[in-house]
Amino acid sequence: MIAYLLRRLIGAIPLLLGILTIIFFITHLAPGDPLGNVGPNVPEEVIQQMRRNLGLDQPLHIQYFRWMGSFLRGDFGYSFAQNRPINEILPETLWNTLQLTLIAMVIIFSLGMLIGIVQAVRQYSLADNLLTFLALFFYSMPGFWLALMFILLVSVKARQWGLPQWLVFPVSGMTSVGAEFMTPWEQFTDRVKHLILPATALGIGAAAGVARYMRGSMLEVIHQDFIRTARAKGLSERTVIFKHAMRNALIPIVTLLGLYLPFLLSGAVLTEQIFGWPGMGRLIVDAIFQRDYPVVLAASFVISAMVVFGNLLSDVLYAVVDPRIRNG
Amino acid sequence: MRRFAIVVLAFVLAACGGRDKTSVADGGAEADSARFGGVAVIGAGNQVTDLNPLTSMDQTANQIQQFVLFTPLITYDSLFQPAPRWAKSWEVNADTTELTFRLRDDLFWHDGIKSSAHDVKFSYDLARNPEAAFPNPGFWTHYGEATVPDSFTFRVKLRPHADFLDPWRAFAPVPRHVLESVPVGQLRQHAFSRRPVGNGPFKFVSHAEGQDWIFEANPQFPKALGGRPYLDRLVYRAVPEPTTLLTELLTGSVDYYIAPTSEQAEQIKQSDRARLMAFPGREYVYIAWNTRRPLFQDARVRRALGMAINRQGIINGVLGGAATQANATIPPFFWQFDPGAGVGLRYDAETAKRLLHEAGYSDRSGDGIVEDVHGRSFRFTIKSNQGNRIRNDIAQIVQSDLRKIGVEAQPQILEWNTLVEQVTTPSKRDFDAVVFGYGTEFQVDDSGLFHCEKRDEPFHLSGYCDAETDRLLDTLPRIVDRAAARPLWARYQRKIVMDQPITLLYFQQRREGVSNRLQNVDPDARGDLVGVDRWYILPGQRRAGGPQQTAQR
Repeated sequence: MIAYLLRRLIGAIPLLLGILTIIFFITHLAPGDPLGNVGPNVPEEVIQQMRRNLGLDQPLHIQYFRWMGSFLRGDFGYSFAQNRPINEILPETLWNTLQLTLIAMVIIFSLGMLIGIVQAVRQYSLADNLLTFLALFFYSMPGFWLALMFILLVSVKARQWGLPQWLVFPVSGMTSVGAEFMTPWEQFTDRVKHLILPATALGIGAAAGVARYMRGSMLEVIHQDFIRTARAKGLSERTVIFKHAMRNALIPIVTLLGLYLPFLLSGAVLTEQIFGWPGMGRLIVDAIFQRDYPVVLAASFVISAMVVFGNLLSDVLYAVVDPRIRNG
Repeated sequence: MRRFAIVVLAFVLAACGGRDKTSVADGGAEADSARFGGVAVIGAGNQVTDLNPLTSMDQTANQIQQFVLFTPLITYDSLFQPAPRWAKSWEVNADTTELTFRLRDDLFWHDGIKSSAHDVKFSYDLARNPEAAFPNPGFWTHYGEATVPDSFTFRVKLRPHADFLDPWRAFAPVPRHVLESVPVGQLRQHAFSRRPVGNGPFKFVSHAEGQDWIFEANPQFPKALGGRPYLDRLVYRAVPEPTTLLTELLTGSVDYYIAPTSEQAEQIKQSDRARLMAFPGREYVYIAWNTRRPLFQDARVRRALGMAINRQGIINGVLGGAATQANATIPPFFWQFDPGAGVGLRYDAETAKRLLHEAGYSDRSGDGIVEDVHGRSFRFTIKSNQGNRIRNDIAQIVQSDLRKIGVEAQPQILEWNTLVEQVTTPSKRDFDAVVFGYGTEFQVDDSGLFHCEKRDEPFHLSGYCDAETDRLLDTLPRIVDRAAARPLWARYQRKIVMDQPITLLYFQQRREGVSNRLQNVDPDARGDLVGVDRWYILPGQRRAGGPQQTAQR
């Protein structure tokens, strides 16, 4: 197993370097450069000076080897747009995104699995039909539309209807005005309040998707012989469902988990945009528009590394949930 | 996506007007001391990443430098006349070759060091050093060496030129003791950009990238300049999505929304929690004709196109009337403005057709499109940038207007950076016509737009070349006496109208969404944040939380 893991990890290195090389040349191929937006009052010679200061006057291959050299030494370089080292920007942005996406992931999988199980156990009941309807409803809603509806309901309308204060949520940013004067506990609850809307908008559609998978895979398992055997030997229904049935039904969910992992760090462009959340999605989109090459590359590296790692992790998790794979 | 989002929320918000009316206290009735305290939040779409006056490039940053964080030498009063700020007074010698500023001696950098003429000279020298790449080197075209006769006197050599005080309004000197040791080429990367030390009415408190800038009142700010600002704190928040920003304004999380979209202006007007403030701006939108291409070489053709475009129709249809028709590059409230310049450019399709005919274009094939003598149809592409609905709509209206005189304009929408590269790269200039925007300084200098010598500067889009225009462009900025300059300015504006290297469409009206509790707000063409130190919120309407102690006078 360990040898297998090592093999996979080493194999990932040339893959990642290849991805970065392609992205480097593609971003430089796009028309314009970071100084395209400096404004009409700036004369050509000042722009040339800025180019020299940023090292953009060098031929492309020199820029590439320079960038690759410092990247291999763990230095992502400088952001042209933010004027500071990317090694300073990335941890901040990643942490912002992680707070959002981790909560969204918890919503996606806990809610999704729970609903799926309930539906499978009570197949064709009123609850099943109702949940199916709701799941399909949220699954088919575009995330940004949901986000706007949330803003409308729990911010604008909630105030108009005079709902209690704890039901009114802030709609943008990560902190309230004056957060620096709050006690640590207040700061924590303030952050949680800021997280609820974007995390729900982000999670609820995907949770509905997970619920569909879970229901299908549970139904398949529930009707198999070993479940009947488990019931026949007198196990409680609880043990039958959660120990015997669920574990077997988890395999497709684990695949999903692996697919969702990159999303943890790549962030969510539209949701972050609407809620003004300073995460990875916004960082990379802004960087693309500003032709902030080093940031585009650094962010792509993080995301592609997560894709590779996510695939690896879901392979490992298969083995955890299914002993046949572990021994095979 | 963004367009759709706006429409959805516009629809829903429109359905929920008319709730409890918050009373707006009239300014001046309450005791002055009651005005001190509170936090105001400014919301805007764009992030400000650099507040160093020597390196920052965006408008908003310049606003914050001028009115919030720093103190320029002079300011403008509401009639756009120079008024003292850091400089108590100034004098010029008889032939306008030496300008002397007498500076205040009671202004301090926020770290406690006194601001002096040495700081001004240090900043001025850096701004003129090409290696520092100061984004507005045009400020100093006619300026020379500076000296510091004593700690509170700053003297600088200049060649006589019009509105020579203007740069000192927008240029905010920086503290020498903080930046002295920084290598010139690395100024932009220095932490000062993100943790600036100013000497203005507000002090820098903190900055979270992608989120906000927080400033607090500077109690030491000289009484003669207004003293401590009324507000305890000022927060600048970047919220990228306009719909969210509007919601924040209408629910009271944001007090001052800089430049809401045209669709949102109506909703703000109808809201009972916020008001819309509008003032004539210095930004104009225009169509540049690429005169490097044969199609647009004849001035008669360009003027025909200009006359065939219904500019007032564009203003009414696309901007809801919130703009003033433009003929030349001078806004109507500038002293240089010539009200008669537009005569040669009234909307008149018949004259336009005649001009085209004189230039050799007529519909020879009978297909509704005019052709030149060789039978080539008058067709071209008009480019605009993606995401800018107004400019895309303009391109379409121009298309339908021009069809009436037998000219076929094909709109094409491109991503912003791509468009900028295609039209501004001197070796490319890959366009026929493009819808673009520009903002003029109070000190008007259009040579970058029209002077033949600057034909290969990025923003000389038209590539237009004319000896008389060049002469005017050379002379105008050098005449100090306004009375003597006015007739020449009039001639210049008429010349631009007749030659039409670009067709100016309108001067934009600048709009702000202002929360009803925020008082004493009066933005004008000087800037969105002018007078921010006099804004106030009465005690009962302030946010809960925030700094506990209210200010002492």
